[in-house]
Formats: sequence, structure tokens, C-alpha cells
Amino acid sequence: MKMGGLLIRVWVAACLIFLAAPIVVVIFSSFSASGYLRFPPQELSLRWYAEFLSSEAWLKPLAVSFVLALCVAVITTAVSGLAAVAISRRRFLGRGAFGFVVMAPLLFPHAAIGVALLGALAIPGWVGTLQGIFLAHAILCLPFAYRPLINALRGFDPSMEEAAMSLGASPSFVVRHVTLPILKPAIVTSLIFTFIISFDEVTVTVFLIGPKAGTLPTQIFTTIQESASPVIAAVSSFLVMLTVGVVFLLDRLVGLQFFSELERSR
Amino acid sequence: MLKPRRHWLYLAPAALIMAVFGVGLVQVVLYSFRSDGGLFGNFADILARPDYVDLFVRTIRIAALTTGFCILIGYPVAYVIARAQRARNLLLILVMLPWMVSIVVRTYGWIVILGNRGTLNTLLMSTGLTSSPIRMLFNEIGVVIGLVHVFSPFMVISILSTFLMVDEVFEEASMSLGAGPLETFWRVILPLTAPGLIAGCAIVFLLSSGAVVTPHLLGGPRTTMVATQIYQDVFQSFNFPKASAMALFLLLLVMVVLWPLGRLERHLGRHLRQADAQQ
Amino acid sequence: MSHDLGSGVQGTVLKATGVSKRFGNALAVQPLDLEVQRGEFLTLLGPSGCGKTTLLRMIAGFETASEGTISIEGRDLTHTPPYRRGLGMVFQSLALFPHLSVSENVAFGLKVRRQDMATIRREVADALELVGLPHVAERAVHQLSGGQRQRIALARAIVTKPPILLLDEPLSALDLKLRRQMQTELKHLQRRLGTTFIFVTHDQEEAITMSDRIAVMRQGRIEQIAAPDVIYRQPATAFVAAFVGENNIFDAEVETVAGAHRVRVPALDHAFPTPAVTQAGPLSVAIRPEDISLQLGRPSGEALAGRIRERTFLGSNVRYVVEVASAQVHVDALAASGAGAIEVGEAVTLTIPISRMNVLTRQSDLQ
Ligand SMILES: Nc1ncnc2c1ncn2[C@@H]1O[C@H](COP(=O)(O)OP(=O)(O)OP(=O)(O)O)[C@@H](O)[C@H]1O
Ligand SMILES: [Mg+2]
Repeated sequence: MKMGGLLIRVWVAACLIFLAAPIVVVIFSSFSASGYLRFPPQELSLRWYAEFLSSEAWLKPLAVSFVLALCVAVITTAVSGLAAVAISRRRFLGRGAFGFVVMAPLLFPHAAIGVALLGALAIPGWVGTLQGIFLAHAILCLPFAYRPLINALRGFDPSMEEAAMSLGASPSFVVRHVTLPILKPAIVTSLIFTFIISFDEVTVTVFLIGPKAGTLPTQIFTTIQESASPVIAAVSSFLVMLTVGVVFLLDRLVGLQFFSELERSR
Repeated sequence: MLKPRRHWLYLAPAALIMAVFGVGLVQVVLYSFRSDGGLFGNFADILARPDYVDLFVRTIRIAALTTGFCILIGYPVAYVIARAQRARNLLLILVMLPWMVSIVVRTYGWIVILGNRGTLNTLLMSTGLTSSPIRMLFNEIGVVIGLVHVFSPFMVISILSTFLMVDEVFEEASMSLGAGPLETFWRVILPLTAPGLIAGCAIVFLLSSGAVVTPHLLGGPRTTMVATQIYQDVFQSFNFPKASAMALFLLLLVMVVLWPLGRLERHLGRHLRQADAQQ
Repeated sequence: MSHDLGSGVQGTVLKATGVSKRFGNALAVQPLDLEVQRGEFLTLLGPSGCGKTTLLRMIAGFETASEGTISIEGRDLTHTPPYRRGLGMVFQSLALFPHLSVSENVAFGLKVRRQDMATIRREVADALELVGLPHVAERAVHQLSGGQRQRIALARAIVTKPPILLLDEPLSALDLKLRRQMQTELKHLQRRLGTTFIFVTHDQEEAITMSDRIAVMRQGRIEQIAAPDVIYRQPATAFVAAFVGENNIFDAEVETVAGAHRVRVPALDHAFPTPAVTQAGPLSVAIRPEDISLQLGRPSGEALAGRIRERTFLGSNVRYVVEVASAQVHVDALAASGAGAIEVGEAVTLTIPISRMNVLTRQSDLQ
């Protein structure tokens, strides 16, 4: 028992090191002074950060990704919130089917989704445009926004709203002061998750980018194929920092139990 | 709050967005039949090429290996997290933080580590374990390492969620009846957590067989998978109809694997659901 | 072997010496000694958080004792893992395996012990017979009622014929009627098997009706360990007096008047002559409501005078709250007797037999 327990711990520690390894390596090599990738770096410098922050080739995709992820987060959360309200509060024909359809993107391999969206967006000529990428991200994010919201709404006791109204509150007051505060953790979870998914998405997005519209991850993807410049490490480290910030934010706002939210109701 | 018959208004935006996806799927099917060689020309071409047999076998092998290694990582990690008390949040963060970092960033990290002059080879050679670098990039080893890294957190989450439903008291009950740790694992813990394990396998297999970025960057031109082949068909040969046909084959492959897994998960999970319903 | 048999019929089956358990800085169980006789029904009784479960889990092997040793049938098992102790355990949540059928649940311990199929089948059938449920063998666990699950959990634990069966509040999830019924069944079963039961409960009535001996625990200590009637009639501490059954407990002090000892109870403004007081320090007296007798009318001479404040009809009994000096005294009377028909507001005389009064060392914070 003691031996077994120790063995498991050592193995789990090794797994955690494995999970951290590429990220740690990227962060360290981003401070390298030399022109090629090396870990550990011989000399330390910030030149690659300087290059990243002074180059439009990186700043533009960064801005695009940020604005895109913000729009995707807000809009998919709103859209799936509305759908979740209807599905949790009304019985109608096709209710179960609708819930299934919203979750459907989770059942397809990403390469197939990429091809499918390429085919769909070609019809209005939206391939390589921001609205095209936005739609793709919205489709991919919808399940992750819908899941926490529908769970929260299913656990929500409608008699709380009725109680508020019986105390004389108007419907809009009830929504603002009862419904939304109770749903807040789910809404925050949805916003942050969809932001991250959109901000990080590459697999489907690489099928849809064009010369005019690229996101930061797709820019990294194309750059890696051309050169191994450590500026990629600097950009990547920046993304890691951002992620750490978001996880910290999540822990503060809703606590870490939201991770289990991802799996429930599957 | 919600007026009668208004629910269609609430559903409309989501339905519109999902309709785009639906149209895309229809497009894929339509395009896949468009070829010079008759209605099934694309499919016939694919089936006739012996190197595509290799491609599918390689895809299945890589996805299966990835799933296997994800179990090796995911199960113990999920167990330790579920049974940890004080360290649970820290452990969760250590698993989830890498997960939330973009996969291009992580794949890039593996290029730095696994290259011939990369961290790992430098380390191995400086300690004298090998004299020449071991090739770990641009072959299946690199692809599997990268995919395991990208998808093992999904396995952890999936297994963890069932572990959180399985009370530790079942382990104690088993031990009180004389079963040692191994036997307890085999007779009690594994059967009770099997639904999460199988769901995790399904997710990892699905995602790794559909991954493009990691195999493309770590596998190089020769270690292609179905998904990277689709990507190349679109962007290097500009052959969208063939890519569509390949996508349908990929869907078929995934369905063939996932459908029985889904059945099995339902079958094994029925006890937990019934036990839940009882309480 | 013959040596074993000799000590087997009677004698000690479990011996804990100086065991304690520390969680961080808190002592959940203070160093204590415990000896359990073969075939005995011992109950660990005490309020929530007093360490009953912790003590039981140390015996089972799920917690390792911080200090002290535990030996079972003469073997030191302090550091033996639970699966090598060969004890049976019934859990509060029952912990029936949801992925196994009823008979597979019962067969679990036998399979682990690598018994052959024929033996397993026979023993499982016997165990199910014993708990009166042979017909549910092929059912799934979730198809059983609460009481049936209880019995299956019991069957699963006893099928391997453990020398000691540990039960941690196994009946607490049942409704009152089923609970009473299971108490009787459990007791009968224990008699029939001759197995040693160590039973945890915080229900003192359950403890009194079922046990051969009760160990009353408080804050990680055993306050008293004795037969139920001894616990009830001669509580060793004020806590035991307060926790087991109803008691009137008052602060008291010893006074010596003309060479004779008396116990003075300021709250009652009364002193009782008493043969001998062995306790030192501040004292309490405990007297049960049913030991006090009531008479209508004012007392003559030394007797206690009171006035009825409340009267509650309890079926066969009547419970009075009587105001005596500055204290409230609970008194029970048979409803059918004359003393059971006194009205609120009447003046009464209370008679307290000295022999039924327990003089104890005072303890603060009795709950
Ligand atoms: N694993 C643990 N870690 C820290 N403290 C614990 C642990 N288990 C028990 N304790 C503490 O030890 C004390 C005794 O707990 P125990 O569970 O033995 O009480 P109990 O008598 O069984 O109570 P109850 O009737 O509520 O079941 C309590 O104060 C409890 O908080
Ligand atoms: Mg307890």
C-alpha cells in the first residue's frame, strides 16, 4: 500500500513535469540572445520580445485574435444563454434534438469541421474574412457556452423568480436582481472558456484564413513552418502569461470547480 | 419570464449559427461526389491508392497509441486529484494550465525539446546515454508525444468527473472484505470509473484523429495522418472534392470507433445513473 | 489449535492499549485502553465528533493509531492494513457495490479469499437465508428497499465469518419503525452467530436496548464502559448521567454538620444526608425523573416543596416540570397513578430517595 502509493505519486509527478515541459522550455528560450532556438539559452536578452512588440506582422494578428475572441465570447454566451433559457423552461417538440444539435460540433473531428466550414463559407465568399472566422469560432464555442448555462438553468429553481415577483418585483427587476446573479458563475465560466477557445483555436481556423485575415495562433503556425526564430517563443510566452492570468481570474471569479462543469451532462 | 410561443425567437440565433455548420456538412457530401471519374470517382481513387491504406492504418495507430498513453497519464493523475484534499486545486491548475495554452505554442515547445539539437538530445548526449541524437521529430514518436500532451487533460477531466461520483467508501468496503489495493482497483475502482475512462478514450481518439496542427508540425511531410492529408489536399493540391471525400472517410472511421465506445459507456454507466437516481 | 479453542470460548478478542489518534494538532482520540470480550455486543456511544468513528476506523485499519497498539486474537495488528485484518465492517452508507448484483456483493469477500465456486454459492445462499432475503439474490442493488439493503450489507460482512464485526451507525438512515425492527434483528443475529459486534451509535436508546456493554465517549475519551443498567443506574461521570437517559443534574457541595456528611444542593435549597462521598472537588448530583415521587400538598418537616409549572402527557407517563426553590425539576409519574393527575399550579411535595441519587464530580459543558 505504502509502496504503491509512493509509486503512483512519483508517476503523477512525472506526468505533471511532462505537461509543463514544453511550456517551460518555450518561456526560457524566449529570453535567448542568439538567433536560433536553444534550451537552455546561453545568454539572456529581451530582444525577441522587442521584435514581437515592434512588428506589425505580430501585433495585427494579436489585435485580431483579441477582438475576435471578445466578440465570440460575448455573442456565443448570449446566444446559448437564450437557447438554454428556452430549452430549460419550455417543453416543445424537438427540444431534446435541439440540445443535441448545439452539442454536435463536439462529435466531429476538427479536420472534418474545417473542410465543412470551408465549403459553407465559400458560398457567400467569406473564406479568408473575419466574419467567416467569427462564424467558425462561434460554432466551435457554442457547446462550451451552452453546457454550463444549461446546467445552471436546470439547477435553477423557478420558484425563486416567482417568490421575487410575489414580493412585488417587476419581471425586469427579477431578471437583473435574481436570475442573473444566480447564473453569474455559469455566465463567467462560459465567457472565459469561449474567449480562450476562440483565442487559441488553430485546427479549424487554418482552413479558413486568407492573406487579409489571420489570427495569432495561425500566424504562429505559418511562421513555425518557415523559420524557427525565437520570436515565436516570445509570442508564445506572451500567450502563456495571458492564459495564467485568465486561469487566475477564473479561480477568483468562480473557483476551480468549473473544470468539472466541462464534463458534466455529457 | 418567457412568453408562450416566444421560445423560437430565443432559439433562432443558435439555430442560425448551427445551420452554417449543417450547410457545410451538406457541401462536403455534395463535393465528395464531384469528380472526373464518375459519381464515386473520389472514393474510388482514394480506395485504389495503396499509400492511403498506410495513411489510414497510421492514423488509427497514432490515435490509438495517443489514447493509450493518455490513459496512462490521465487515470493516475485523476485518481490522485480526486483523493487529494489540500493539494487538489494546485494539482488541477498544474493539469489545466497547459491545457489552456494554445496548441501551437505547446507544439512549438516540443519542437524545441525533441529536435536533433533540442533539449532532450542535448541532455541525453551530455550525460553520455547516446553518442548521436535520437530522431524524435518528424516521425511518429514526435506526433504521439505532441498529441498525448495536447489531449491528455481531456482524459484527466473525463476520468476525474467519474471519480468524484465514486465515493472513497467503496474502496474501504472492498478492503474491509479482504481485497488488497490491486484487487480493489481491479474489482471495484476500475469497474466504477470505467464510464469516465471510456468517454475519455472516445474524446481523445476523436480529437487526435482529427488533429491537423500537431501532426503537421511534428510529423513532417512523411508522417501524414488523414487529417493532415485533408489539409494538404485543400492547400497544396487545391483539390476540395478529394478533401471532402477524405473527410467523409475520417468521419466514418471515427464513427466506427466511437459508436461501440458510446454503447459500452452507457452500459457500464447505468449503475452509477441508477444509484444517482436513488438518492 | 487447542490452545486457541481454550481461550476461544471466553476471553479477550480485541485489546487496544494506549491508542490515540491525532489529526494535525487535534486529538480526535485521546490515549485509551479497550478490551472487548469474545461474543460481546459492545456499543461506542457518544455525541457527534467525540471520536467514535475514528476509534472504529483504527480498529478496522483505515486509520493508523498515532500511539498505542491494537491486537486482535492475540496478534498485534496495529500496522496491518485493513485487508489483512480479516474483520467485517458495515458502513453508514452501506457501500454496497453498485456495479455488482446482490449475490455478487455478498460473494465479494469469498471471491477475494479464492474460495471455490461451490463453496461460494453455498455460503452466499446461507448468508442470504440468515438475513431472510434468499429471493433477492439476482437483483441489482438499486432494486432493494432500505431495510433490504441493510440486511445485504450485513450478509456481505458476515459471510466470511469474521471474528469481529464493526458497524458504524448502520441504522441511522432508516425511519424509526424500520430502525426498531432492525435493532431486534441485529441483536438476534449477533446472538445466533456468537460474533463480536462493535457498534457505533449516538442514539442512547439504541445503545441501551442492544448492547452487552456500552462505552460512553466524550471528546476522544471513554468516560465509562459498563453494562447498560450500570451506565443507567450508576453513571461514572456527570456527562454520562446527562447523556444517557433523562437526568436532573444540579451543582452540589459537601457540608459536615455535627460530624455527619451531607450533600447540599443550593439550587434546591436543600441538603441530603449521604453515607460517604469519595469524590474530591466540586460536585454534581444526578437524579432521574422517574425516581422522584410526587404528592399533592405542602410538605411537613424536611421534605422538598415545589409547585407544578408544566404538565406533558406522554402516554403511559406524565412529565412534570416542578419549580423547587430556584430550580426546575423534571419528574415522571405513571399516568394511571394518582400522582399522574396533578394539575399545573398545584403545590406538591417531592420525595427523593437517597439511594437513587448519584453524587458525581462536577463537569462543565455537559453537551
Ligand atoms: N480525516 C480527518 N481529518 C481531520 N480531522 C478529523 C478527520 N476525521 C475526523 N476528524 C475529527 O476528529 C473528531 C472525531 O471525529 P469522528 O468522526 O471520530 O466523530 P464521531 O464520534 O464519529 O462523530 P459522528 O457521530 O458525527 O459520526 C472530530 O472533531 C473530527 O472533526
Ligand atoms: Mg461517525
